[in-house]
Amino acid sequence: MEKVIVNKTQAPLGHEKKIKPPLIMRIKSEWKKNSLVYIILVPVLIHFTIFQIIPFVYSFILTFLNYRIIGTSEFVGLRNWSQLFQDKIAIKSIWNTVLFSIYYIVPTMALGLILALIIKSGIAMTKFFKGVFFLPVVTSFVVVAGIWEWLFSGTQSGFINYLLSFFGVEPQLFLSDSSQALLVLAGLSIFKVSGSTMIYYFAGLQSIPKDMYEAAKIDGASTFKSFWMITFPLLKPIHFYVLIITTIGSFQIFDSAFLLTGGGPNFSTSTIVYYLYTIGFTNLNFSYAAVLSYVLFAIILVISLIQRKYFGKDQGLY
Amino acid sequence: MIMFFLGFSFLLPFLIMILSSFKETTFAALSPLFWIPNDPSLNNFIYLFRNDNFLRWIFNSVVITIIPVFSQMFFAGLLGYIFARKQFFGREFVFWTFMAVIMIPPQLLIIPKFIMFSKFGWINEYQSLIVPELWAIMGVFLVRQFMQGIPLELDEAARMDGANDFQVFRKIYMPLAFPAIATVGTFAFVSNWNDLFQPLIYMTNEKMYPITVGLASTLNKEGNFGIEMAGATVSFIPTFLIFLFFQKYFTEGIQLSGLK
Repeated sequence: MEKVIVNKTQAPLGHEKKIKPPLIMRIKSEWKKNSLVYIILVPVLIHFTIFQIIPFVYSFILTFLNYRIIGTSEFVGLRNWSQLFQDKIAIKSIWNTVLFSIYYIVPTMALGLILALIIKSGIAMTKFFKGVFFLPVVTSFVVVAGIWEWLFSGTQSGFINYLLSFFGVEPQLFLSDSSQALLVLAGLSIFKVSGSTMIYYFAGLQSIPKDMYEAAKIDGASTFKSFWMITFPLLKPIHFYVLIITTIGSFQIFDSAFLLTGGGPNFSTSTIVYYLYTIGFTNLNFSYAAVLSYVLFAIILVISLIQRKYFGKDQGLY
Repeated sequence: MIMFFLGFSFLLPFLIMILSSFKETTFAALSPLFWIPNDPSLNNFIYLFRNDNFLRWIFNSVVITIIPVFSQMFFAGLLGYIFARKQFFGREFVFWTFMAVIMIPPQLLIIPKFIMFSKFGWINEYQSLIVPELWAIMGVFLVRQFMQGIPLELDEAARMDGANDFQVFRKIYMPLAFPAIATVGTFAFVSNWNDLFQPLIYMTNEKMYPITVGLASTLNKEGNFGIEMAGATVSFIPTFLIFLFFQKYFTEGIQLSGLK
């Protein structure tokens, strides 16, 4: 698509080149043609350099320094990087983040798909329910976490414990139990994000041609069978896309750990970003925090590259 | 049936939040069904609005949200147009640099930005949360995609009539790409209003907290649960209203980009 546009507008450009007017004239005509571009793009690029490029490069330099807030910083080579491999809490935080992803990704995708199927089935008030399922996506973590704190409070007064009591389950500790806290945080994220995976799946479902289902119906396939044989495989690009974005999102998880558990109990909910935050802004060790941020970047980069490789060619979705 | 059950489960937390905001109760004294309304009172809200900090937090959130929203819409429109339709030296290079930079997680930039803003004297100033958010790459990408679909003939016809670049943009591209630009605005609103991580780091003075950090500072404090929920409700209302009126743009835009 891009190529076509390029050819169309380049035709007059070629003409100008043949005549080759003096340089000043050419600059003038370029300015006349593209003044808007330069007026907008120059400040934007300066802004881009200051707030994206310089911090990105500076952060990398930081990983080789012993940065001091007061006084001069010294070059320490790879010391900060080697610290990473001896730091048990750092490794635990990376592991926690991976565990969190495992708890969170598949349920979010499954719930999103179920919600999309429900909405697609065209029951009354579709628009209303679409809104209801999407509402948590636009709500701040602080608001949701505030409610979650009570729903999952580890005493008998907590709402979830109250519901469990009807099934004869003993009150659970939830956020104060190191084997359950991460699950509760994953639950919060599932609740908050599945509305957006629903939208992706909904878009995917609409692109499946109706006559495929009709053909299956004529062949006597049940609803369940036509889902497994037609819908599910045809959604493959959406599965992949949703998988990538939920994975990237899950590695950046911070808000719920900060709000609900503070990384505890016993570091069981300390995620990469949460640990980065404590190292950087509680311990004020900026250099080591920069190393951790590069670990995060490396993970996300690999995931994004897989995505690019897969989506680079033909997907109109991205 | 499943639909109503799921719908109810999704709404219940919000219902509990709103109902408990009318209750005066502390966290420790809660019972599982305390939120069922009887004897509601507005005291929690009265308490909040008499509290100077709370009003200030809301005001701060408004400041750091409104300016980026309009600025991001403006720049996404113009830059989207430039990258979709203008020919200039380095266009592809600049655009693909932008697309590559999207992969950098914002958490990576936070430490160097903190050091930088300390030198600028931007810690505890609105600039630290406004200036970096004046435009967003994702919005440019979204609007560019949309504008590439606008027929070139319209553009050419306007130029025949003697319109210059900015007029073509103003009269043709901006109105036609309005859905995409509105999507950028709604996204900018949600991401700035809800942001916790950045203000948590750049704002150390209680007076400069936005509502997210302000509310977070009251959580976990064994405080009055009713007041907490009243605060959550108040901070939720603007997002809810924006969502109610612009729902279409959220759901369309999310297919084009990726709000997490």
